[in-house]
Amino acid sequence: MKFIPLVWAGIWRKRGRSILILAQTLIAFTLFGVLQGLSSGIKHAIDKTHADRLYVSSKVSLAEPLPMSLAERIQSVPGVLAVAQRMQFGGTYQKPTQPVPIVGTDPSAFFRMAPELELTPPQALSGIQNNLSGALIGADTLRELGWKVGDRVTLQTGVPRKDGSRSWTFQILGSFRNKDAPDQQQAGVIVNYRYVNEGRASGADRVNLFEIQIDDPRHAPQIAHSIDQVFANSPNETLTQSEHELITSQLKRVGDLDFIVHRITGAAFFVLLFATGALMMQSIRERTPELAVLKTVGYGDSRVMLLILAETTALCVCGALLGLGIAARLLPLARNFIGIAAISSDVLIAGVVVAIAVALAAGSIPAWRGLRLRVADALADR
Amino acid sequence: MHPLRQILALTASAIRSIPARLGASLVTVIGVTTVMAVLVALLSLGEGVTYLAGKNVRADRAVVLSKGASASNSFLTRANIAIIADAPGVKKDDHGKPLLTAGTLVQVDLITNDSQRGNVFLIGFTNPAVYSEIRVVEGRYYRPGLHELIVSESVRSRYRDTGIGGHIQLHGEPWTIVGVFKDTGGFFDLNVFADGDTVLSAFGRNAFQQVVVQLDSAAAFDAFRHAVTTDPSLTVDVQTEAQNRLDTVKQLKGLLDFISYFVGGLMAIGAVCGALSSLYAAVDARRREIATLRAIGFSSGPVVVSVLVEGIVLALPAAVLGAAIAWLMFNGNVISTVGLTFPLAVTPHLALISLFWAVGIALLGGLLPALRAADLPVATALRAT
Repeated sequence: MKFIPLVWAGIWRKRGRSILILAQTLIAFTLFGVLQGLSSGIKHAIDKTHADRLYVSSKVSLAEPLPMSLAERIQSVPGVLAVAQRMQFGGTYQKPTQPVPIVGTDPSAFFRMAPELELTPPQALSGIQNNLSGALIGADTLRELGWKVGDRVTLQTGVPRKDGSRSWTFQILGSFRNKDAPDQQQAGVIVNYRYVNEGRASGADRVNLFEIQIDDPRHAPQIAHSIDQVFANSPNETLTQSEHELITSQLKRVGDLDFIVHRITGAAFFVLLFATGALMMQSIRERTPELAVLKTVGYGDSRVMLLILAETTALCVCGALLGLGIAARLLPLARNFIGIAAISSDVLIAGVVVAIAVALAAGSIPAWRGLRLRVADALADR
Repeated sequence: MHPLRQILALTASAIRSIPARLGASLVTVIGVTTVMAVLVALLSLGEGVTYLAGKNVRADRAVVLSKGASASNSFLTRANIAIIADAPGVKKDDHGKPLLTAGTLVQVDLITNDSQRGNVFLIGFTNPAVYSEIRVVEGRYYRPGLHELIVSESVRSRYRDTGIGGHIQLHGEPWTIVGVFKDTGGFFDLNVFADGDTVLSAFGRNAFQQVVVQLDSAAAFDAFRHAVTTDPSLTVDVQTEAQNRLDTVKQLKGLLDFISYFVGGLMAIGAVCGALSSLYAAVDARRREIATLRAIGFSSGPVVVSVLVEGIVLALPAAVLGAAIAWLMFNGNVISTVGLTFPLAVTPHLALISLFWAVGIALLGGLLPALRAADLPVATALRAT
């Protein structure tokens, strides 16, 4: 314990430089935290997928609609417990920079299939079944746009109505929140498919996806195959995927981009660390005579070495923790892009481990020199 | 001594002393080089997108979409298209037929060579002659009424079963690939083309999404737009081709630039720290020299300037080096993402941005050390060992 003041004094010997080293480590780890936070957030989202849900889309692509009439034949496939259609379209509220994703579905089937979605007030579900123009709003969307239950809101969408306009008005009946994934952006607007379908000018009776619930996750591949078999060689061939497959295939589309951004920023992170390490080495080299003094007054070789390592580690870990803290504050800003709001503990742990590794690597050369230091030479500045 | 000569003398001495402090100076150089390499490499993504959007754009082509709609949700009926075809300024071909093509877009999943799902856009054109830059280089054009497709060279090289004679199953019907086209611009690099009316009927659609018009000349655009947008039977927007393409890539470009400036900005702060510490070291090493000069009558202004110039002298070559590294490693690399392939473009414009950033980093990093040098208590500094 008596070494702590010594380490502390070593760190603050040159205040300016230590602050700079701290700042540089902090920045490197902010970068690390943001990047790793994003990828681990995505990984968590994939891990949390539900194995008992399948998604039926057109085999042509996800963007291609399917006729609503397929629902009955999907329902009759053995193992299928429930079917909910999804008509997905984009809307904006007031200005083009406030996008709101809209899903037209059968709300009672939709929420029955997703027990993790918690409704406030709980009676909102029966409300939307009785109010055709009702809407249930993701808790974050509700808060960010300043809406309240009971409001009537008008959204600009890409779906034309029979009168030619593209704005749709919904009455807000409640909000929902995913209690299994509180970190994720709780976004979106759930409305009655029937309301949108009856009002739209074109594309009637068409949906983007069917979400289905199956009796047993182990039957998933088999059920998916039977559904696709039912529609094989028909004008509406289908592709049935698990939630996991659906999300991973969407992510893969970003493809090369993800790879190159990671490669570049990864390289940047290591160079930043390298620069920090160089600074720390320089700072200890300048203090060679002081280390000699310590040895003169009776400090052993290994003590001196440990002292140096303790100093670099303390600086690096402090910088890393601050940087990871900043990353944790920054990540929520990105959630409109990627829907993830919090940094996970494994990213924090990985960050601290990397910080210690860098500190030991950067400290090892001066520490080794400290170990071998010959007092007479060092004091004589030879 | 004249202040300017003082500045010159001090700066020359500062620069001469750089080799003596190689380690500290290298920290600045490496820091700035990396930041600029990263910034330029990331920005080259966005630059590549802009480059792609602007390539082969013709000022005498106009794009018509439903009012307020994007290409994916626009809705133009055959009646709408007939009115647009009659508008003033639309060029006629040798047979007196208006040079205009309606287009319908279908996103199609294909399987890549390494068994992933990827998506391309199938575009059904009613009159491909409008795009004179697209040439069939192998096989032949599709024939109207038949389920025939032509694919781009990169679709053929990336996706399975897309050579001539291959089939793509769409809505239960096989479509045969009869030709491979080359688009000198590259904007249609991940596209598949077929006959417009055939696509409409095969996909159960009753309207096109966009109309591209060949105008008599670029000057005819305003008259054409006025006629089409004021026609009471149409509710459409008219854009130049350049504007339309920029709109198409706006979101991607915005995201890429956001990433670039976010990462680049963070790293620049890191580089400022590096520059700060190496210039502090420089000032420390030259304490006695600076104090001596101050004692014989140099004023503090030139001292400040000399430190700042030293920073810039270190940062500028580093910026050039960084941009060069980005250019060597990434320029021309082709990226394929969300239905678009584009090259990374390290342009002179980006090199210029990196120079500005480098000067900024040097000035920010140099200011505090420079002020310390200027404030140096002459007597103490002279006594110091």
